[in-house]
Amino acid sequence: MAIAVMALIGFFIAFYLLAHSLGWTGSLLCGVGNCERVQQSPYSHMGPIPVAALGVVGYAIMLVAAFVGIQPSARESRAVGGVLLLGGGVGFAISLYLTYLEAAVIHAWCQWCVTSAIIMTLIFLASLPEVRRIRGA
Amino acid sequence: MANRAQQRREARKSGGSDMTKFYWTLGLVAVIGVGAVGYQVASHKMGTAATAPVDLKGLEDPTALMKAAQAITKGDPNAPVTILEFGDYECPACGTFALTVQPQVEAKYVTPGKAKFVFYDFPLVSIHPTSFIAARAGRCAVDQDRFWQYHDELYRNQNSWVLQANPIKTFIGYAKDLGMDADAFGACLNSDKYADVVTANLRLAQQLGLNGTPTIMVGLEKGMPKRLGDDFSYKAIAALVDQVLAEAAAQDSAASGGS
Repeated sequence: MAIAVMALIGFFIAFYLLAHSLGWTGSLLCGVGNCERVQQSPYSHMGPIPVAALGVVGYAIMLVAAFVGIQPSARESRAVGGVLLLGGGVGFAISLYLTYLEAAVIHAWCQWCVTSAIIMTLIFLASLPEVRRIRGA
Repeated sequence: MANRAQQRREARKSGGSDMTKFYWTLGLVAVIGVGAVGYQVASHKMGTAATAPVDLKGLEDPTALMKAAQAITKGDPNAPVTILEFGDYECPACGTFALTVQPQVEAKYVTPGKAKFVFYDFPLVSIHPTSFIAARAGRCAVDQDRFWQYHDELYRNQNSWVLQANPIKTFIGYAKDLGMDADAFGACLNSDKYADVVTANLRLAQQLGLNGTPTIMVGLEKGMPKRLGDDFSYKAIAALVDQVLAEAAAQDSAASGGS
């Protein structure tokens, strides 16, 4: 449940950043840090794909998986557990890398990116108990 | 086996209220998220043109204020005399001055290099609701090096846009009429670009204790400029400029005589 709620929050943050990179919004609401510098750095895109798009897709997968995972019928589904654990792990790794880029390469912080990284970390931690589901109860 | 099924049933029963809470939480997050992102996108689509002064911090410091306030200058920047105008595009007297008096002043003093003309925005926002965005429109014309043409165009058409609640389209039309890049101009106007500069100019005027437009001052590089009274005729301004020029000449001769 916690994963689903956090994934939904993360989804909206990522969607907001994506909307910004597609030019659907004005300048980012940015209380602290320097969002524009982060968003305009070459690291905001992986090839032609905005990093925020990865976030949108990733959070959407986590949301659906978490939602399915709490249905009684999926209580023992190894596949769901696997998606949650793997997704949480990959998401956490990407967040870690992006946060490293902000700190060490871009030298600017974007509060939305940091918030997203924190949420992803919490999702990862919350997904750890999925090990039990994969092993089989 | 039966035991386990019963356990599950009980778990489901006790979890029922948890599930309800969960769905409510999820729904609430969804509504807030869609609302917030939707608002951001929609307000951008409609254009969030800055139409009023913005909050600027640190302008109590006169040095910072002088740095933030930016004038538009016409003529030789090294000309000895400076003619300053604080103007509001909605003010009729400013229009008359800009279209009839200013050209004469320019011909006599600015073009020969005796004086430079300096314009500061002073939108009297409490009585002129669209004067702020008009000032921003003038600034957006600076991006295309067409400030003075646009400035004149705003004054020429004063009567047709002052009564409009939202003159943005009209302003973009003027840019088009002047052969400017209307898309770039519109993008500038539909943003908060130059809201800070116009606000700083307005604060500068307030700091100087000015209370009306146009306020015209004539001065030299150093010392306090002299303020023109309420007579904005060419005669009055020419008299003041001549007086300042004479003072400058007297200072020069005194300086060269003394050495």
